[in-house]
Amino acid sequence: MNEVIGIIIAAILCWLNFVIVDTYFGLPEQPGVRGAKIVGKNVEKRGGDIAGGYFQGNVLCSPDASAGTLLASIGYLLLGIPGGIIAAFFVFMGNRLCADPGYAGTCGSLTATLILFICCSFLGFAPEMFIVGMVIAILTIQGIDQVRASVVLGKIAEKFNRHARE
Amino acid sequence: MFDLVDSTIFFASYGNALGLANVSIGPFDIVLAYIAAIVVSIVVALALKIPLLPSKPYRYSFDVSAIYPTPIIAIGIFSIFLVLNYTFMYNGLVLAIIIGILSALFVKYLFDFVFPKPLNEDNGEDIDE
Repeated sequence: MNEVIGIIIAAILCWLNFVIVDTYFGLPEQPGVRGAKIVGKNVEKRGGDIAGGYFQGNVLCSPDASAGTLLASIGYLLLGIPGGIIAAFFVFMGNRLCADPGYAGTCGSLTATLILFICCSFLGFAPEMFIVGMVIAILTIQGIDQVRASVVLGKIAEKFNRHARE
Repeated sequence: MFDLVDSTIFFASYGNALGLANVSIGPFDIVLAYIAAIVVSIVVALALKIPLLPSKPYRYSFDVSAIYPTPIIAIGIFSIFLVLNYTFMYNGLVLAIIIGILSALFVKYLFDFVFPKPLNEDNGEDIDE
């Protein structure tokens, strides 16, 4: 498969994977760790959405499905499917060490391993594409325009009935 | 030239020299061993009276349950053994069962000791302002 097209598709898949898993496990609803609360309040002060701010803070401060997807891609590149599962195990330990009471990281890396297995075995993707794609996906959430990204994430959280204000 | 990953795995798989590893373990055996690890860990965890499902708003994973951390620990550690090419007897089944039992025991008796619950939110200094 063409590398550029593969990276674009992988970025979209990674974005959907970690946003859906993180939103489902309630990242926008409440700050899991204390740094996330500060990030969320700051984003809201700059005109963003508080739920999206909590989401960004949680992604920033502790290993959630975003880190899980990235580590699962790296593990899959190195060691195949067992590598993805080892990544899930390490994300679980990282969650414990960060005192983050969430399920999103482990579940996110397991679903990412499943996506990687399907795409790399049957559809001709390479695991490297997913690593680059995940970096691009995190860049769209945290890097380009944090305020507008938080509004989008808040809308997604409302769709999932996981908004902070309810 | 200097391939860290390959040489590390190669070094760690020297256990094969003792004849303990199974040389030809196919994908079906691996899937079977994974399923065995998951099932055994959940069953032993239930036998040790760990609740099956976590407490209801699925947001506080420090409360252990049979579904959430137990099979994850079991298949994670089994994956490490698999990557190191050390699968022991019967195509890895024995190793999977042993790891399942040990991970259930770990979750029941050692989990709170190794990963203590975080302090209450109100106890720490308030850095919010």
